[in-house]
Amino acid sequence: MYIIIASMIGHVDADCFYVSAERVRYPHLKGMPVGVLGNHGACVIAKSYEMKQAGVPTGGAIWEAVPVCPDAVFVKRDFRWYEILSRKMLAEVQRVSPQVEFYSIDESFFRAVDVRLSAAERLQRAMLDRVGVPVSIGIAPTKTLAKLISDSSKPFGCGVIDDEAARLEILRDRPVTDITGIAKRSARRLSEQGITTCEQFANADRAKIRWLLTKRGEDLWWELNGHSVLPVQTKRPEHKFISRGGSIGRASNDVARVRGFVVRNVERLVEALNHYQLCCDQLILSLLFRDAPERSGRRSLLGSTADFERLVCAALEMMPEVWSPRHASVHYMHVIAGSLWAAGNRQMGLFDDDLYQSNHDRFDAIASVKSQINSRVGRFALRMGSTLPLKDVYADPANEYDICDVHGKMCF
Amino acid sequence: MCKGISILKARLKQELFDQYELAHRITTRGEATQQELHFMYPGASPIELPVIQDGQLVIMEWGNRNNKESKLPKTGWCRLESLQAGKWRWLSPEKVVIPADFGLEKSVWFQIHEGMEGVVVHDEHERPHVYMLTTAASVYYQNMTQHDRMPVLVGQEI
Repeated sequence: MYIIIASMIGHVDADCFYVSAERVRYPHLKGMPVGVLGNHGACVIAKSYEMKQAGVPTGGAIWEAVPVCPDAVFVKRDFRWYEILSRKMLAEVQRVSPQVEFYSIDESFFRAVDVRLSAAERLQRAMLDRVGVPVSIGIAPTKTLAKLISDSSKPFGCGVIDDEAARLEILRDRPVTDITGIAKRSARRLSEQGITTCEQFANADRAKIRWLLTKRGEDLWWELNGHSVLPVQTKRPEHKFISRGGSIGRASNDVARVRGFVVRNVERLVEALNHYQLCCDQLILSLLFRDAPERSGRRSLLGSTADFERLVCAALEMMPEVWSPRHASVHYMHVIAGSLWAAGNRQMGLFDDDLYQSNHDRFDAIASVKSQINSRVGRFALRMGSTLPLKDVYADPANEYDICDVHGKMCF
Repeated sequence: MCKGISILKARLKQELFDQYELAHRITTRGEATQQELHFMYPGASPIELPVIQDGQLVIMEWGNRNNKESKLPKTGWCRLESLQAGKWRWLSPEKVVIPADFGLEKSVWFQIHEGMEGVVVHDEHERPHVYMLTTAASVYYQNMTQHDRMPVLVGQEI
């Protein structure tokens, strides 16, 4: 297989990023088993290598982690701080490359100018010295191979795939689930065809992979075989959907509380739509239950909008039909805006008239006052009364800023 | 609540180790380079806590667990609500800071940035005792420790 070394891609991935970020400001945490807790204080969303070594899984509950690792120290997450370090990391990568993709809060891809291992090690050292965060770096002809080599070099390693032997070596005996984009469902489909390793995936018939996993799978096939088809993107592609939601903490079948979360998530969704200067034609409400299958509803909005009033009415109208059976306890939800348009290219509704325009102006004026007050006093200081049952959520300033509030990155 | 604290050894002056015989409290967590001192209630006798009083770090007895004849409350904690209601006024409590780097409740060690608030009162022999101030736990703290009371943290919200 021919590899074009002149066009190599680098992948920088922070080692246990949230823990490393905490260690930047609290250096005494170095060497300790540390777990970072999520939005409700119950779930371990990140762990140090010391904690991993003890056998604590990511995403598990704190009460399951403690008996496994009794010495562990638990830290409350702070996404504002993680974003500060994330942007500093991005700036470091931009010093060595003119083309950098802000992939996620702790990962970036870059067009590698110097493809030697020593260059990767220099960047790694600079990152540690200037930002304080240990990273692993992979350089390869494609994004998928670069990510595989950086993942396999963790912690604090560097690797370069610059010839056929190195490419084959990284694929050998590696499960297909190590490839970003191959999750459980895809892995099951591949497994049914006897494809369980990256090597088998790369050696499989291209048309078969496309048949099994569509174009997305075929792209990965090309990438694993050393042909770059996924470009380094310096600008985020336009959103197809914008979603806000997540866990609501302890599962609840209290209507006022669930309604409060729906309204809170619509307020956050409207903020995001305004940030990206978008409006939507559709709204989807999805509820996940502790004791019943997930259900979703969809509403067409009769004209594009980013008006809070119209979106919240649509979401609340869907709530009773989505929440079935009624006794089920909600523990997760998503409010998703679909069919997005640039706010300036808003599609008018058939029934938009003067009354609509006057209502729109009124909503706009209210939204403007709300936004001005919140920008001075604090996010969510002025909010819908329906969120009053969520006193505990709003009492915690850490809930004012979430991972999805870190704008500009390619993925969650 | 918070039934134990840990403080980094580096925060304590060497003379305190001799004065209060603290050597037995020293421990190391994982592969950390920094040693810690653990103070538990109940724990290694005597039951003590570090306290910052008049700008100096000193070691004091934590509450009153063992002296049944003393008039002092037989606990290690003081509810903020009780303090504000004046129920401790007869003891002339003085607010202090209990410096700590980690707290312990129901086997969960959690990070503390600076420390927590406490009150110092004196017994019949004018010996100082420190009580840790507690307040209703935030939902986050409750989820984390399964306890409905939490220490009053200095400049930190959990």
